[in-house]
Amino acid sequence: MAYAYLFKYIIIGDTGVGKSCLLLQFTDKRFQPVHDLTIGVEFGARMITIDGKQIKLQIWDTAGQESFRSITRSYYRGAAGALLVYDITRRDTFNHLTTWLEDARQHSNSNMVIMLIGNKSDLESRREVKKEEGEAFAREHGLIFMETSAKTASNVEEAFINTAKEIYEKIQEGVFDINNEANGIKIGPQHPTTNSTLPGNQGGQQAGGGCC
Amino acid sequence: MNFFRGVMGGQAAGPQPSGAETIQKLCDRVASSTLLEDRRDAVRALKSLSKKYRMEVGTQAMEHLINILQTDRSDSEILGYALDTLYNLICNDEEEEQDEAMQKQSDDLGAQFTEQFIQDPEHITLILSLLEEFDFHVRWPGVKLLTALLKNQGVQVQGIILVSPMGVSRLMDLLADSREVIRNDGLLLLQQLTKSNAAIQKIVAFESAFERLLDIITEEGSSDGGIVVEDCLLLLLNLLKNNSSNQNFFKEGSYIQRMKPWFEVGDDNSGWSAQKVTNLHLMLQLVRVMVSPVNSPGASASCQKSMYQCGLLQQLCTILMATGVPADILTETINTVSEVIRGSQVNQDYFASVNAPSNPPRPAIVVLLMSMVNERQPFVLRCAVLYCFQCFLYKNQKGQGEIVATLLPSTIDANSISAGQLLCGGLFSADSLSNWCASVALAHALQDNLTQKEQLLRVQLATSLGKPPVSLLQQCTNILSQGSKVQTRVGLLMLLCTWINNCPIAVTHFLHNQENVPFLTAQISENLGEDERLVQGLCALLLGICIFYNDNSLENYTKEKLKQLIEKRIGKENFVEKLGFITKHELYSRAAQKPQPVFPSPEQMLFDHEFTKLVKELEGVITKAVHKSSEDEKKEEEVKKTLEQHDNIVTQYKELIREQDAQIQELKEQVATMTAQSEQMQTTVTQQLSQIQQHKDQYNILKLKLGKDNQSNSQADSQVNGLQTEELTQLREEVEELRQQHTLLQTQLGDKDALINTLQSETAEGSAAASDNTELLKELEALRSQVQSQSVEIDQMKTERQELLRKAEAVSSEAVSSSDGSLDAAKMAEVESRLAAQTSETERLKEESKSLLESRAELEQQLATATSTVAILQTEKAKLQTEVQESKKEQDDLLMLLADQDQKISGLKQRLKALGETVDDEDDLDTRDQTDEDEEDEDEDED
Ligand SMILES: Nc1nc2c(ncn2[C@@H]2O[C@H](COP(=O)(O)OP(=O)(O)O)[C@@H](O)[C@H]2O)c(=O)[nH]1
Ligand SMILES: [Mg+2]
Repeated sequence: MAYAYLFKYIIIGDTGVGKSCLLLQFTDKRFQPVHDLTIGVEFGARMITIDGKQIKLQIWDTAGQESFRSITRSYYRGAAGALLVYDITRRDTFNHLTTWLEDARQHSNSNMVIMLIGNKSDLESRREVKKEEGEAFAREHGLIFMETSAKTASNVEEAFINTAKEIYEKIQEGVFDINNEANGIKIGPQHPTTNSTLPGNQGGQQAGGGCC
Repeated sequence: MNFFRGVMGGQAAGPQPSGAETIQKLCDRVASSTLLEDRRDAVRALKSLSKKYRMEVGTQAMEHLINILQTDRSDSEILGYALDTLYNLICNDEEEEQDEAMQKQSDDLGAQFTEQFIQDPEHITLILSLLEEFDFHVRWPGVKLLTALLKNQGVQVQGIILVSPMGVSRLMDLLADSREVIRNDGLLLLQQLTKSNAAIQKIVAFESAFERLLDIITEEGSSDGGIVVEDCLLLLLNLLKNNSSNQNFFKEGSYIQRMKPWFEVGDDNSGWSAQKVTNLHLMLQLVRVMVSPVNSPGASASCQKSMYQCGLLQQLCTILMATGVPADILTETINTVSEVIRGSQVNQDYFASVNAPSNPPRPAIVVLLMSMVNERQPFVLRCAVLYCFQCFLYKNQKGQGEIVATLLPSTIDANSISAGQLLCGGLFSADSLSNWCASVALAHALQDNLTQKEQLLRVQLATSLGKPPVSLLQQCTNILSQGSKVQTRVGLLMLLCTWINNCPIAVTHFLHNQENVPFLTAQISENLGEDERLVQGLCALLLGICIFYNDNSLENYTKEKLKQLIEKRIGKENFVEKLGFITKHELYSRAAQKPQPVFPSPEQMLFDHEFTKLVKELEGVITKAVHKSSEDEKKEEEVKKTLEQHDNIVTQYKELIREQDAQIQELKEQVATMTAQSEQMQTTVTQQLSQIQQHKDQYNILKLKLGKDNQSNSQADSQVNGLQTEELTQLREEVEELRQQHTLLQTQLGDKDALINTLQSETAEGSAAASDNTELLKELEALRSQVQSQSVEIDQMKTERQELLRKAEAVSSEAVSSSDGSLDAAKMAEVESRLAAQTSETERLKEESKSLLESRAELEQQLATATSTVAILQTEKAKLQTEVQESKKEQDDLLMLLADQDQKISGLKQRLKALGETVDDEDDLDTRDQTDEDEEDEDEDED
């Protein structure tokens, strides 16, 4: 299907926080209580609409275990967005955020949009991390924040879409170099490329790439 | 080479130094020389020796070479030599003339040096970082060296690259290198890198490998391209085979659509080079990887769907029906089409509709079946056709019905060859391969389809002339008992088992033939050779089915009687043992693995995949059934009943679940549409809000303006909804001016009247009633009355205008009072609060939008009131304007009249003069008039 933009995402965070469930909820609109442990990386995709434009999201769901960390790192550079997930019922997953963030910042391109997600918001009775703590962490590190439930689907759409909105805004502001696919952004096939539509554009200058 | 010569040549007088000695010296140089040039020459020398003295250079110089790579980073030349040397040490050149022992020795050496090199993982990281060097002399040997290392110690090197940050993505950059050699060798490197390593395969895919590779394939001319295309295809295969995540990515990335043009080879027959055949083979394999029966059904189904939607399946079918396609490509295309349609109703339906471009057109299925039962066709092609037919019928009740229908008396078409005819022909031909294929094909038309099993019982065959027709079932058993080839009998037995399985009517039909049971028992009980074991097993299975699915409708062959027969004639244990021959057969498990019928040789074509499933299902239950006593049987019967009940319940639940599923689906769709609606409504709401805001703003401005107008009664000069109050003021001023002019004109008229009167009296006095004179007087009288009536009219107009002005003012004040402040503000506030509430309650969108619409209507009404006020003002203004226009015109007329009168007066004067009367001078009159006017103007100004 035709799209205006394609964004690549990764989902990171400790194992068991619900990364795979979030992806499944987003792509298939269903929840799987018993989910296989993710081995390495799994792929999912969905189309969304922002500002009247079709945007394709390609999402790589990573394995949280330490042994897969180095594999996960290979995905940072090429991603435009990252969902960093913790489990609001497990404080340790919240405590590990700093490590995750350091890793992400070190290996990603500097413009990567990171969305912090406190998942399992349906388990209010077992909550160990207050919403305010998540908000504070996000504020402190310049992240967007949201509490979600992959089980009830609460805020799941929003988490993925808001991340895309942020990326989209960055594109509008000219922050992202959209011609460099390594940033995890691709312009769709039907998108008009500004150069080729210019009349009187002399041939032969594409090689240099520069314009007068 | 200076240094080299120096080392070698300098000792010409003494004994020739051994290779080892020379190499040692070179190593010392590499290690200790402070001059880069020296070191460079030494490394170059090592390189030139590294093939001949591979062992020596390897053992002695490896450390030094690695050192160079670490320390001499700035000199690409020395780096290049070092990398080349290492490559020579590690690479196992497969030279053709080498004998096996030599090759083995070479391989061992390569393995040893590789191990030595990768002992420190840092060395791999070092090579990776060197690959970032753009210089050809570094990058190229670097690529080759890493490829050689991967070839020798794949798993370990993969592991190191995987954990080195950016390792894989650096290697991906090679595909973007503009130098073809590096790009092409990069492809070979990536092939080695991705071999059997799912994690690396996924990263490579993540790094846009699909896009890059598909681009290269297109650039290089797709199937007409050279070995680069082949390498790209091999890499794609590595990335996709058994990697569901990458397959999903490939599908979601819409890359399936990009495979379609690969197969646009049709009838152009521009020749089939060996490379093209290889390329197409790999391309077909790639299609198959995406729809392989081993993939999860959901994944395959969605790929099958897009293959139909993008026209890939259609393209493949074109190749299928084209002429001049090499046999192996044709075979692989058939296999590919098979898997693209397998279990997909839409694709199967399409396939059934494909016709061969023959005259008359024949269904593709018929054309293919002709090949299947044709002895002269290659074995693999016949297997492919069988597979295609099986895939066409897999989970395709409609297709099964259509095939069986071609055999039924009511629907048979005598004029054209049908699939059914071909299958029957195959069943009873002299070629055992055809027998087997036709049996299995027909069995697939019956698979899990009770209706067709029963329908097929109706099929009658005409044998020789004068003899009564015989049923198809009967004919099968007849052939079976005639002791034909094993392959034929195995095929027929599989067909019979599939046919009567789970179909008591068919069992009855089978048992009804008095010869069948004795034949089976004889077959099973006999002690036959190895070759016959499988047939014995299948006979036992068939008899077992006769017991298990027996409805006891034939007195001689009830369950009980059959079991007794087994006990008496064969023996229970013997029977079970014979039954076990099937699964114990060496070819059984092979066939059980995958649906495609692949056999190393035609003789090994014995088991069908679907049939192995049937055996698995029945072996246990038949064994139990045979062992059970009649009491057990009764209990069993009861259990069966409860089971049936249970089954019923399960079925009910299943039904319920299905219903609920449908409901969920429906609800999901509803939710989707509702979400869409809700989004739409939200936008409408936002739009309306902003409209309302606009209206409010406009309204406020209007209110403000009207208020101002009212206050200042005139001077307002800003624009209200396109109407200029300024104009009103102007109009008023004009009216005022006109009024003044009127007064002026009236005075003038009065003066002139007086003048005329004096003139008349003078005339009356002074002249002897000239005839002309009375006429003149009459004219003058008429003129006067005209002027009088005009002045009356003007007066009337004046009052009218006054009235109009009053009205206009009244209207504007009315408008202001109708939208009185507090009431209005309250309304606004209400609307606003309602709107706010509505936006927050998105769940009740329908209600919301209704009330919104209401409030909007209200506002619109208010706006309409305001607009109508404005409209009234505008009409008023227009009226005033026309009136002003009219009065202007009238004034003009009046002035004309006055001018006329003046002329007439002067004419009269002239006459009077001519008559000898003394008259005031014209000039005097004019001057006086002028003065009068000026005086009047001054008077006005003072007012
Ligand atoms: N109650 C609840 N359970 C969740 C939620 N998300 C995930 N889970 C459960 O948490 C476990 C781990 O989820 P999974 O997606 O495999 O975590 P991952 O390792 O981060 O991919 C599973 O048992 C899920 O059923 C949620 O939002 N609410
Ligand atoms: Mg997971």
